[in-house]
Amino acid sequence: MTGIMVKDEREIEIRIKNLGMTFKDNQGNDVEALTGVNLDIYKGEFISLLGPSGCGKTTLLRMVADLLEPTAGSVHIGDRLPREVRLDQKLGIVFQSPVLFDWRTVKKNVELPLEVMKFGKAKRSQISDSMLEMVGLTKFADHYPNQLSGGMQQRVNIARALAVRPELLLMDEPFSSLDEFTKEKLHEDLLQIWKKTNKTVIFVTHNIQEAVFLSDRVCVLSPHPGRLSGIVDVDLPRPRELKVKETAKFNELVSKVRNTFDGGSL
Amino acid sequence: MKNWKKNVLKWLPMLIWVLVIAVIWEIGASVVDVTKRTPENVLPHLYQIVQAAFSSKPVGSGMTASQLVLSSAGKTLSRAAIGFLIGTISGFIMALIMKLSKIAEKIIFPYLMIIQMIPILGMAPIILSITGDINTSRVVIAAILTFYPVATGTLAGFNAIEREKYDLMYSYAANKLSIYTKVLIPYSIPYFFTGLKIAAPMAITASILVDTLQGDGGLGTLLSQSLKHAMSIYVFWLIVVFGAFVGIFSSKLMGILEWLFTPHKRFRKTGRKETQHDTQTKKREECFSKSS
Repeated sequence: MTGIMVKDEREIEIRIKNLGMTFKDNQGNDVEALTGVNLDIYKGEFISLLGPSGCGKTTLLRMVADLLEPTAGSVHIGDRLPREVRLDQKLGIVFQSPVLFDWRTVKKNVELPLEVMKFGKAKRSQISDSMLEMVGLTKFADHYPNQLSGGMQQRVNIARALAVRPELLLMDEPFSSLDEFTKEKLHEDLLQIWKKTNKTVIFVTHNIQEAVFLSDRVCVLSPHPGRLSGIVDVDLPRPRELKVKETAKFNELVSKVRNTFDGGSL
Repeated sequence: MKNWKKNVLKWLPMLIWVLVIAVIWEIGASVVDVTKRTPENVLPHLYQIVQAAFSSKPVGSGMTASQLVLSSAGKTLSRAAIGFLIGTISGFIMALIMKLSKIAEKIIFPYLMIIQMIPILGMAPIILSITGDINTSRVVIAAILTFYPVATGTLAGFNAIEREKYDLMYSYAANKLSIYTKVLIPYSIPYFFTGLKIAAPMAITASILVDTLQGDGGLGTLLSQSLKHAMSIYVFWLIVVFGAFVGIFSSKLMGILEWLFTPHKRFRKTGRKETQHDTQTKKREECFSKSS
């Protein structure tokens, strides 16, 4: 398969075929949240799912995470189904709210998935220490979540997701409730962490600049019904710094993404 | 200096509160003093109660008023404590059962409501005639009264957990046991303690009330004897004051236990915005003030 197109010699990690999701609303009518999505995601790629609310981007992510069962089509991660990958405990998920456990210290929060996976105490401690070092929170290991700022809480969230050494890092609008300065700092840090860990990242967002700055490719989704209306390749050089946002190329890509979007009745 | 100011500000409302009560009490006592024939039966002066507490004159069974109250209190409070403990454990287990099974919740919850609605005055004689023993009745009544706030409080805690926490545990392929021990139970602890804080004074009140059913010792028995003039009326006033303090203390004791069990709640960043956690605490308090 990979030999046919010269351009794509990278290994495909996730294959999404004809994926669709239909909900029933309160009156019992069918609502198409997402329809006919075809997408291949490469190993080690940073890919964004971008769109307004109601376009099905979170639905798509949740189907990859096995938090939702698709009503049409299929998702394969490698040659396995999302369910098998989840049961194998190889998914790292970062939600919009940090979902930290108040009664656990920062370190114990990072260790939670490792406890569930029955890792020994020494191993847990070793992994959580290295994860906290990676997100720059070593000094805060013994703090409780309610002593941290929103940005720090989200760092803990990322450290916890990476602690399980996931095959995939799935992020659902992780920075959307943070202020602009914190967000930019975390963007840079996330790119560094991504580079270090070589994970495949699926990043859901409604912020065009954020998507362009972070991603290799931006998948633009449009609502009513939710569908993939185009993919924009982001060929900005890496490593990227914040300055790249001031370049003409960056702005060109932003408007390209904007034009790909099909608002319809929005 | 700043700390000192803070402390004063913290305790000032409480101090004013106590002072205002004392002043109103004394005004009342002074009025009663001149209008009633036996003022000490209606409202004695505070100093008279203090005097009675420290008087070495025996008032009954060769004991002073304070000795009498304390020795009876042992009987009543120890039964209240046992009942409280039983009610706490069974209330918590009941909350777990109701969380584990929706059907169990639907069946059990209405019974909880009904038990809560029956006045203790009506329930106590029935329990006494069933058990036939005043000590057992004290324990049972205290347990029943503790059971309700603990069960509903803990259940409210279980049901207040955000969906994302479950999603997260699901993504780790966590089993039910992990979800209960690592999420549900620790999350519900503050709710559980809110229930305990309400239940503790209730268990004590109930135990005193059960005493009055039978002249077999305990604070309640002493209370009615004193009211029937079989004993110094100041014993009655001593019990009233003592009971109020023990009630408040029991609730505060639960607060101290909560403080010990929830180290994360001791830390509050100053000057930060309200967090999700604060709103949860508020929600919890609102939910309780509605139910009680």
